[in-house]
Amino acid sequence: MWKKIKLGLIVLAFILVGGVLDYVLPRHDIVRVTSTEVIRMDFTRFNRLFFAQADSGTREYATRDVRLINTVRKKTWLFGFIRRDAEGVMVYRNEDTGWIWPPYFKFDSSDLQAEAAALVSTADNPKWAVLTNYGWRNRFFTIYPNAIAIREVSGPDVRIIPWFNIFFFIFLGVAWLFIRAMWRQFRERTVDPALASAGEKWDEVDERASAARGRFSRWLGTWRGKPRR
Amino acid sequence: MGLIRLIVFGYAGLTIIYFVISIYSRSVRREKLENWWAEENPGSDDMQARAAYVEKGLEEYRNGIRRKLILLVYVIPTAIVIGTLIAVNWN
Repeated sequence: MWKKIKLGLIVLAFILVGGVLDYVLPRHDIVRVTSTEVIRMDFTRFNRLFFAQADSGTREYATRDVRLINTVRKKTWLFGFIRRDAEGVMVYRNEDTGWIWPPYFKFDSSDLQAEAAALVSTADNPKWAVLTNYGWRNRFFTIYPNAIAIREVSGPDVRIIPWFNIFFFIFLGVAWLFIRAMWRQFRERTVDPALASAGEKWDEVDERASAARGRFSRWLGTWRGKPRR
Repeated sequence: MGLIRLIVFGYAGLTIIYFVISIYSRSVRREKLENWWAEENPGSDDMQARAAYVEKGLEEYRNGIRRKLILLVYVIPTAIVIGTLIAVNWN
């Protein structure tokens, strides 16, 4: 029973952490920009979570305009590792992330919108670009991934190496090993000696108590269970 | 406002990490010194000499470069933030 609950909690933790990482880590999509636009968004409490804030240095209201980049995107499988021939439309928002979260420190949404507009092309004469973004698209709640940067590439078969993600996961592994080493050191040097000295104390008390008891009760005591340590 | 919040909470978090790493690093150094003492003086029971040896080693550690390297806890994240800021917003 406890084992199952523990397993369930571990699975839940993995899903939560994996979900946050999937949302926050950068992705590189191969896109052809078809247009750029601005729409007014009236956020609900739920989908507000999936938008950043008003442009850096401006005031935040319940309702505001959001820049969008409409594209045709090359579809992929497995977080972009497997390329497909299929294409589909994809819409990205283009918002400042500002100083806080996620830590992209993006302040140049207007410039990015201009760059995207400069790359607008048709299917007959396509201009392909790599669009770095994070986030999810969800039709039911109207949420979009946020575009971070765009750069033109020669064709849709360009090779992309996700350097940031590689270093991020290496760092995560190193940090995990480091924390484990610290915890072990703490246990070996601080917790275990404390437990040992507490155990010695207990033995002393036990000895005195049994010395105080009479011979008969000591004899009786040999029949009783010993106190657990 | 966002920048101030980032600086205050960011450096507060880094300070916690700094102290935890300092304690860990000191503890590892103390353990090493104890082991070296045991190697140099096999079977010795002279606790006072051992304590003096460890104390001297820790004094050297306090003035050494290793301890100062822990300050990188502040330097590296600051460099990463500035680097990201430039890389993302540079046209």
